[in-house]
Amino acid sequence: MNIRVVFSGRGYDRAESIPASLDLPPGSTLSDALDLLAKRLPDEIQLPAACLIAVSGKHAGTVARHEACPLGEGDELVLIAPVAGG
Amino acid sequence: MMLTPEEQQRYARQMGSGVLSAEGQQRLKRSAALVARVGGMGGPAALCLTMAGVGRIIIAHGGELISPDLNRQLLGSEAALGKPRAGHFAETLRGMNRFVTVESIDHEPDEGETFELASRVDVIVSCPPTFAERLRLNRAAVRAGIPLIDAAQWGMSGTLMAVEPGKTACLECVYPEEPPFEEMFPVVGAISSATGSLAALEAVKILSGTGKPLFGRMLMVDGFQGRTRSVELRRDPRCPCCGPPR
Repeated sequence: MNIRVVFSGRGYDRAESIPASLDLPPGSTLSDALDLLAKRLPDEIQLPAACLIAVSGKHAGTVARHEACPLGEGDELVLIAPVAGG
Repeated sequence: MMLTPEEQQRYARQMGSGVLSAEGQQRLKRSAALVARVGGMGGPAALCLTMAGVGRIIIAHGGELISPDLNRQLLGSEAALGKPRAGHFAETLRGMNRFVTVESIDHEPDEGETFELASRVDVIVSCPPTFAERLRLNRAAVRAGIPLIDAAQWGMSGTLMAVEPGKTACLECVYPEEPPFEEMFPVVGAISSATGSLAALEAVKILSGTGKPLFGRMLMVDGFQGRTRSVELRRDPRCPCCGPPR
């Protein structure tokens, strides 16, 4: 199955290194997708632990702490690295 | 607390169909807001709330204005460089609307003072640069039982979320571990103003009882990549800040 990947927040300028979509075996979960992303990304742009994760618009936790979430064809994985600013 | 004829004239363009009712405008007049940090986002937020007619606005921001602030801190000016921000910014706000009371705090409130401030207002607009301060404001809002709007930015992107304590996810539900602080974050003033203005819009909606607030959602605006997303946030039932759903 194929899912779309959207990355934003702190370091969005590195988003070009992050694939816009991932091909995963049927039955894959959010953790599988994050593991695959981690393998695809160079060490210097690994996703931050506090990065917010949403699957098709629903909050699923952070990279470090997220729920077991089955993925389906066409899901959108949104990753928002924490921003603060001021 | 009725609106005077002068106030009715001032707010004529924001009262009516699709905007605020007369009762909503009166609610704004009776309301108080704390805007924590009035820099790139909080400055425009405080300005919009002042112009909208929120009755009492407390701004909190320590330190002196420096040149790099002027790419985004629109309450500042060349004349204010090197001077404490809070007093100068408060004067700028007072000059925009004589019907609004503006108080200024020239330092970063600690845990106790933040809660004391939260107890005196109806909403908090959180715009600090550190997660430590944002999470402190979130704790105060949850403890005081008042809504919090959190605005954040980086580069050309911004995020916005609104917290209804006890009902929707709080900031600590979203960030259970405090993310690291980046002192010299990049930022373009246009996204600061946009994010701060949207935060003010949420406060106006909440205080006046108008429209559908962003409670329980995060809005992400990525100007760099030209896209937006909305995320439905979930409460963490084990959240040490807001605890189990009531």
